[in-house]
Amino acid sequence: MSNSTAENGASSYSGTVIAVNAVISVAVALGLIWVVNGFNVFYERLDRVSPTVDGGGIGTAFAEGNEIEWLVFLVEAIHAADVLMGLFILVLVFVHWGSFRRLAGQMRQPGESRTIPDGGEADTGGDEE
Amino acid sequence: MTNLDHGKFTRMTTVFHSLLAMDVFFLFFTGYAIMFNDELWWMLTLMGGSGAVAALHRVFGVGLLALVTFWMLMMVTTDTGRSNFREILPTPGDAKAFVQDIQFVLGNAEERHPNARQFAGGTADEVPLLSYVGKGVVFIFAAELTLLSVSGLLIWSKTGLMQYFATQTAAMAFVVFHGLLGVVMLMGIMFHIFEHGFHPAFFPVETKAFIPRSMIPEEHDDDHEGTGIEHLELSPNWASASNLGGAATVIGIVSVLVASIYDTGYPVSLELLVGGGPTNLLLTVGVNIGVLVLFLGMVLSVYGNLVRIRWEQRMAEEEADSVDAEAAD
Repeated sequence: MSNSTAENGASSYSGTVIAVNAVISVAVALGLIWVVNGFNVFYERLDRVSPTVDGGGIGTAFAEGNEIEWLVFLVEAIHAADVLMGLFILVLVFVHWGSFRRLAGQMRQPGESRTIPDGGEADTGGDEE
Repeated sequence: MTNLDHGKFTRMTTVFHSLLAMDVFFLFFTGYAIMFNDELWWMLTLMGGSGAVAALHRVFGVGLLALVTFWMLMMVTTDTGRSNFREILPTPGDAKAFVQDIQFVLGNAEERHPNARQFAGGTADEVPLLSYVGKGVVFIFAAELTLLSVSGLLIWSKTGLMQYFATQTAAMAFVVFHGLLGVVMLMGIMFHIFEHGFHPAFFPVETKAFIPRSMIPEEHDDDHEGTGIEHLELSPNWASASNLGGAATVIGIVSVLVASIYDTGYPVSLELLVGGGPTNLLLTVGVNIGVLVLFLGMVLSVYGNLVRIRWEQRMAEEEADSVDAEAAD
């Protein structure tokens, strides 16, 4: 019996669309790199003379730029996200590990003879890769 | 019944998946050789030092930009893309599938929910295009890849970024953010490798990600109940391999998580803080095991394509044989 999830019925992607989109994507990627490569400092606009931290004077950059609150928050937030997602991912690993062990238990064990269970059907396909 | 199971993806998707996987693996190897240089100093040296690694990372970064843009275009400009997008939207069934998976492990449920089932077997009609994990992977990775692309473009030219903040240290915050952002994906990919490499019915790799659905025969008897997984024979190596793979995955995830906490990097400390790799042998070993899991993923991705090529050859041979047989008649 055939199944509806196969190519029949379901549409596929046309080669032309794939080709056009591939060309556009490469162009967009290279264009973005071209833009950010030209993204550079215009030195004459830098405030280079004010000798205070607030004024961003020479030598004050480290003190001024090292504790911008929203940047500190962003880094802290992503640390927290890493930990939370990490724990969730570990739960998923253990859930899958456990269910794989149960599923493996339902399968024919290695070397077990190919007996047909009562009322069952013979395995017709054979093992294929 | 075969462990090919039912085809799900078009050739465009399987090829895209392989290209994205390769690109992301190389981004991981280069990027985390820089961020986790305490633990992965040998990788940094092996790939030619920090300058060469940063250059390679940018090359693969351009590749990622092209791939991400391509995928977005395909999802928007084609009917198949738009209809598949509707199919992968999360449903209440996905939440139920997660709960039922836990119940299944605890022995309180008899089978996995259709939205969780990786091996569809005789129940292919009930199984959606993507499992709840598959949907999560698509949405989390899509968000991650977008944010990584944006932050990666921002730090492409550090001097350009500095003009907005007038300082090197603030630019450093974006670099740190970019690296920490990738940690979610790093851990997620390790899980993804375990999930699709160690399912007992598919071990050592779930081929539906590599063999397009057009090449998978869809003939089977629907007479028996359930997936029919009991007809498949477990690989003799599965038990030891899955224990080893599972342990390596858990160790890898925990280690990169702990290592990422050491690598805060912003605000830049006023004094020298030694932590992570140089002081912690166990962490160094753990992060390296994590890299080994990624390497296994890369090998499995290549192996999946090798299986696809063999399958293509076999189908071509069978077709040629049947043509010969007809001619002989």
